[in-house]
Amino acid sequence: MSAWLSENLLTALLVVPMLGAIGVLFMPRQWPNAIRRFSVAMLTVNFGLSLLLLPDFVELVQYVLGRLPGVEDLTLADYSQQGYLFVVDEPWIESVGISYKLGVDGISLWLVLLTTLLTPIALFASWTSVKTKVKEYALAFLLLEVGMLGAFFALDLFLFYVFWELMLVPMYLIVGVWGGPNRVYAAVKFFLYTMVGSLLMLVAILYLVGSYEELTGFYTFDLVALHDVILPFDAQVLLFLAFAVAFAIKVPMFPFHTWLPDAHVQAPTGGSVILAAVMLKLGTYGLLRFAMPMFPLASQFLGPTIAVLGVIGIVYGAYCAWVQKDVKKLVAYSSVSHMGFIALGMFAMTPQGINGAIIQMVNHGVSTGALFILVGVIYERRHTRDIDEFGGLAKVMPWYAVLFIIVAMSSIGLPGTNGFIGEFMIMNGAFASSFIEGPFDIVGLGRWGVVHTLVAATGVILAALYMLHAVLKMFWGPVSKKENEGLRDMTWREWAAVAPLILFIFWIGVHPTTFLDASAPAVDNFISDFRTKFAESRDDSLRLWHPDRHTAPVEEGEEVEAEPAEAAAEAEAPSDGQREAANVLPPSERTLALAAPSHPAPSLNATGENR
Amino acid sequence: MSMWLVIAPLLLMLVSGLFIMLVDAFAKERAELALVTSVAIAVAGAISLGVLVQGGAPADMPEVLTRYLASDPFAHFFDVAICAGASLSVLLAGGYLREHGLERGEFYVLVLFSCFGAMILARAIDLLSLFVGLETMSLGVYAMIAFRRTSARAVEGAMKYFLLGSFAAAILLFGSALLYAGTGHTDFVGIGEMIASGDAENRLVLVGMLMVVVGLAFKVSAVPFHMWTPDAYEGAVTPATTFMSVSVKAAAFAVFVRVCMVALGDESVMTASGWPTAIAGLAVLTMVYGNVAAIVQKSIKRMLAYSSIAHAGYVMVGLVAAAEIGAPAISAVLFYLLAYTVSNALAFGSLVVMGSRGKEAVHYDDLRGVGRRHPMAALPFVIGVLSLMGFPPTAGFFGKYYVFNAAVQAGDVWLAIVGVLASAVGAYYYLRVIVVMFMQEPEEDQVLAVPMKSGYVATALAASGAAVMALGMMPGWFLDVAIEAARQLLG
Repeated sequence: MSAWLSENLLTALLVVPMLGAIGVLFMPRQWPNAIRRFSVAMLTVNFGLSLLLLPDFVELVQYVLGRLPGVEDLTLADYSQQGYLFVVDEPWIESVGISYKLGVDGISLWLVLLTTLLTPIALFASWTSVKTKVKEYALAFLLLEVGMLGAFFALDLFLFYVFWELMLVPMYLIVGVWGGPNRVYAAVKFFLYTMVGSLLMLVAILYLVGSYEELTGFYTFDLVALHDVILPFDAQVLLFLAFAVAFAIKVPMFPFHTWLPDAHVQAPTGGSVILAAVMLKLGTYGLLRFAMPMFPLASQFLGPTIAVLGVIGIVYGAYCAWVQKDVKKLVAYSSVSHMGFIALGMFAMTPQGINGAIIQMVNHGVSTGALFILVGVIYERRHTRDIDEFGGLAKVMPWYAVLFIIVAMSSIGLPGTNGFIGEFMIMNGAFASSFIEGPFDIVGLGRWGVVHTLVAATGVILAALYMLHAVLKMFWGPVSKKENEGLRDMTWREWAAVAPLILFIFWIGVHPTTFLDASAPAVDNFISDFRTKFAESRDDSLRLWHPDRHTAPVEEGEEVEAEPAEAAAEAEAPSDGQREAANVLPPSERTLALAAPSHPAPSLNATGENR
Repeated sequence: MSMWLVIAPLLLMLVSGLFIMLVDAFAKERAELALVTSVAIAVAGAISLGVLVQGGAPADMPEVLTRYLASDPFAHFFDVAICAGASLSVLLAGGYLREHGLERGEFYVLVLFSCFGAMILARAIDLLSLFVGLETMSLGVYAMIAFRRTSARAVEGAMKYFLLGSFAAAILLFGSALLYAGTGHTDFVGIGEMIASGDAENRLVLVGMLMVVVGLAFKVSAVPFHMWTPDAYEGAVTPATTFMSVSVKAAAFAVFVRVCMVALGDESVMTASGWPTAIAGLAVLTMVYGNVAAIVQKSIKRMLAYSSIAHAGYVMVGLVAAAEIGAPAISAVLFYLLAYTVSNALAFGSLVVMGSRGKEAVHYDDLRGVGRRHPMAALPFVIGVLSLMGFPPTAGFFGKYYVFNAAVQAGDVWLAIVGVLASAVGAYYYLRVIVVMFMQEPEEDQVLAVPMKSGYVATALAASGAAVMALGMMPGWFLDVAIEAARQLLG
């Protein structure tokens, strides 16, 4: 039972919210509370299930429930090893090499947990604010979680694309149906921006798969296999751009950020929380998982430029946040600023930078999520978000003020809170990027890292400015407006939604090692792999990195030895006619001779399998 | 396999057409003509599917059948698409005509005969059978457009289509004559062989080819030969529009592919005439114009007309790729047309179900708030437009994916990029349907369209919706069949 659970844990994480969605579909709409309870329960169950990804948690379960049958053989995931864990690999559309392949590693682990934690919280936070069409609202959240988790899990580019697009529809509906007055404009803008980017990415994926087919004679969308394709410089640049634009729109990176304030301001609270906390992370995650490792030359060539855009985003977002009258818009622009830090950290190419970026993704999710929930709390009471409408709230709603200020401090990056850890590590990494030693000294930001860091540091000061400005106007001073007297302080529901986030704000701030232990080995692999592939790519040719790992598919039932890929490629390559023949290979078992994911492979440092 | 089984779908069309005519003339009470017709067409499609799965026609077909008509898997694949589209259209008509007081038996007869023509067209391997099939198909459609006799718009659309269609047919015929004059053959294979051997009169062939391509481009409504499309689609009763936009288009593309790949598939013709480049230009124009023009429409029917123009552009992208890489691209075209057939039938069906007696839903405004009032009626429309948009995991997504994949593999990356950007534009107007249904409320004094209750329409929606999802979730089987059909087409 439990061995089965370990093998299918990722599938289970997708199936539980799916079952929840089906369940909600059959519940009568006259029972809004039952629907809310059921869907929050399903999402919470999924969160509990996702905790099984953590070895420490599994050990705890075993300690507590050791007597129960099956608990003992739950897998203890070891995130210090290379490769992906909990891998599922089933063929889906065999004739074109599309498979249902999922896995997690130290890079995606915390983002997965962030998703499973925040989705129930976001739905819970809109318990009272969403009164119409509760059934559809819950349905959208459940499906949204399927799409987001699937995108984080997918190790097949096609599958990734499907999930990537899939999460667009629920979000579009959440903004468009339950949003503010200008919701339709915001929803359509959000949808179209993302769609344009992702369609270009689809073309890039097709080109990449075509190149792979040219080299081996068969198709696959397997990320691990495609990782071994080494492309010439020009192709790398174009493909990287196609991927990076899709992801940069999602992040959103300056100058693609204009959809974000619209979408955030119009979205209902729960939608804003998910949008900021999880969906934006998919952009940075995509860069880290797909764009950078697959096209290292281009990533290095364009990376510093993207880092500059990140820095511009930091400062520009902060200035925009400063002048906002609408609190929600302020938080939205602060997102642009914080996401700029993450981009800077990633392209610094130092362990501190990338670890900082990963931790900052989680931080931003937690802090901004909490901020949006808190903004929702006051909006529900006053039906305005105009900063000038408030003042002296600390007297009326003391607990609310305490929580808001804690979260605001974490957003600024006060030491002791999570924001400090992330931003400090990122700036440390960017600074160190100027002084990378060794044969690959060109990797990273180069000498400009120092300048990047200096400018980015002003972003922290600006963050203090705009956040404290807002806090000052909202909470201190006399209660100037009559409407603000007698506002109710936090209800237990609001407490319950915010409390876990406050816990994580301090946990990450005080003891970040808990989180870095899992991501650090993955980041080390990522960097060494990036450098090796970078060195391999420098001869500017189209070739396969580990040709012996890619064998042509063998037809089921036939006892034919798998031909080495090169021989197959030679046999297939010459004429178009024969290429067609390769294209139309009948459904067959894909036997990629890749190392098993759990393969320890210590000697395979910097190979296609690692990261 | 019996030879009779191979030609059974054609015979079934003819016999049931005559039968319905008689029944309509003599039956006092209105018989359930829609049921009989749709079942007949579905059976014809099922027989074709069976023949397709069994590996095609026997080798010993009598010469009288093989001289002008092919019985290859390619033809049978298109039979399936044409019959699926026609059968769904008839089901829609069963609800629509009765609801709007237009129930007259000749509609079904016209569909059956037109469908017969379409199937002939998909099988045509000779310029003569091509022309006969094309005219048989078109005459039925002209009459179908004018079916609502009292409506000026319907008559205008029919006249426009009839006049322009006659011109196009004349041009096509003239082109055929020139091809015959240049090569001495009327069959595609013979024309192809003459050109390959270099014995053909090249100037005549080039001019003839150009005219044939123009004639066919008119039928598939490629820009700039699309002028008739919006008016004809708008004027026609919606089930007829459905039939035109799916079955007729599929058949026209079938013969388009055959002419291009069999008669003009020779390398020397491609380089000499550059038809792949010309079609690539048409494809770009069609995709861009179709999508941009669709944005500004106020009527959903017109929007769907322009969207079907845009979809013709995507299919032509596959055709251009086929010039380079052959079978894989042709299979993409086949799959795309099948996916488009079910998706478009679903979208038009959803439009049909939105209106009932007294008020037909035509404009966006008619759909305001339908999603809130009647979510179950709105759901098929959502799936339909998402599939037309090319959203995973629907049929339309895999269709687009295969076509653009073919273009990328053929080295036409730019064409794929134009295609995806055009379809991103398309997302805007498809989304608008969802926007008005779910995010807008009707105005105070607005006459609300009430969804119709009809078993026929519900069946059509359920069938096409299931097909859209099935092709989206499990495209593998149909793709394998399409690849096999494409390979046999090229020999």
